[in-house]
Amino acid sequence: MQEMFESINWAVITPLLVIQGILLIIAIIDWAKVEKTNGPRWMWFFIIIFIYTIGPIAYFIFGRRQQ
Amino acid sequence: MHTKVLLQKEMLENWRNKKWIWVPLVFLLLAIMDPISNYYLPQILESIGGLPDGTVLELPEYAPQDILLMSLGQFSSLGVLLIVLISMGTIAGEQKNGVMDLLLIKPISYRSIILAKWFSLLLLVWTSLFLGITASWYYTNSLYGEIEFLSMLLVTFYYGLWLTLVVTISIFYNAIIQTPGLVAFLTILTTIILSIVTNVFGTHIKWSPVNLSTYIHEMLVLGSVTSQLIATAFTTIVLIIIILSVAIYCFKKKQH
Repeated sequence: MQEMFESINWAVITPLLVIQGILLIIAIIDWAKVEKTNGPRWMWFFIIIFIYTIGPIAYFIFGRRQQ
Repeated sequence: MHTKVLLQKEMLENWRNKKWIWVPLVFLLLAIMDPISNYYLPQILESIGGLPDGTVLELPEYAPQDILLMSLGQFSSLGVLLIVLISMGTIAGEQKNGVMDLLLIKPISYRSIILAKWFSLLLLVWTSLFLGITASWYYTNSLYGEIEFLSMLLVTFYYGLWLTLVVTISIFYNAIIQTPGLVAFLTILTTIILSIVTNVFGTHIKWSPVNLSTYIHEMLVLGSVTSQLIATAFTTIVLIIIILSVAIYCFKKKQH
């Protein structure tokens, strides 16, 4: 495992992690601002936090109320 | 005139609901997923383990072109799905919740509404596509081998036409149906039918928009734009204009 970490070229991987991080942060900020979501508000919090990458995207598509 | 004002309103709305942030990010993610995971596939397999000693894995050697095309493959499946999902409520939803009625009280032409919605979606989709392909091109160049910058721009342009067609089909269903879910379903169904028809009657309809990716592949391998590709692009543009005109016509009819 240690070897694997050393062999990874972080310049390659970092953008991927940064994009996923931004998605997560934007989704959480948006979630904190809106008053109502489609479905229980706390459910979306856990979806955003715990479902890797897909969670924030699902929130933007299905969780957000359009108006 | 009205189109411009409505377009500004659409852009502002897409900014407020964060589409201008998350849609480009998702396209970036889709684009760089395959270049990175293929590059690290040997290490990933090794770390998972479970392979008997002495197993020799013959992993395919990818040409740079293959990698760029993998990103296009992601756009064709998940990218198209995403476009359909973000566009399904753009008019249909507003008809349902009454925003459209408010808008139509004002002396705005039906054409302006459709065009503004269509164009604002296209701006978002083309920006995302351009960012995604640029990222994929960058990774391909640094990890696999060189692809010319001009080729990348051509890929963006020709592939963008396919996505434009998807957006146009979605706008068409938006204009005639009020249920967002149904709009999404019919849009996807239409693209599936289009590709089935193209595959079945392949020899007779060479210039079907579905073939755009095939010809883009050819272009990358040969290094030059074929006449087939230009003809297909032309067909796609004509098809887009027709569908858009029909959408405006149906929308007018329906509101009267």
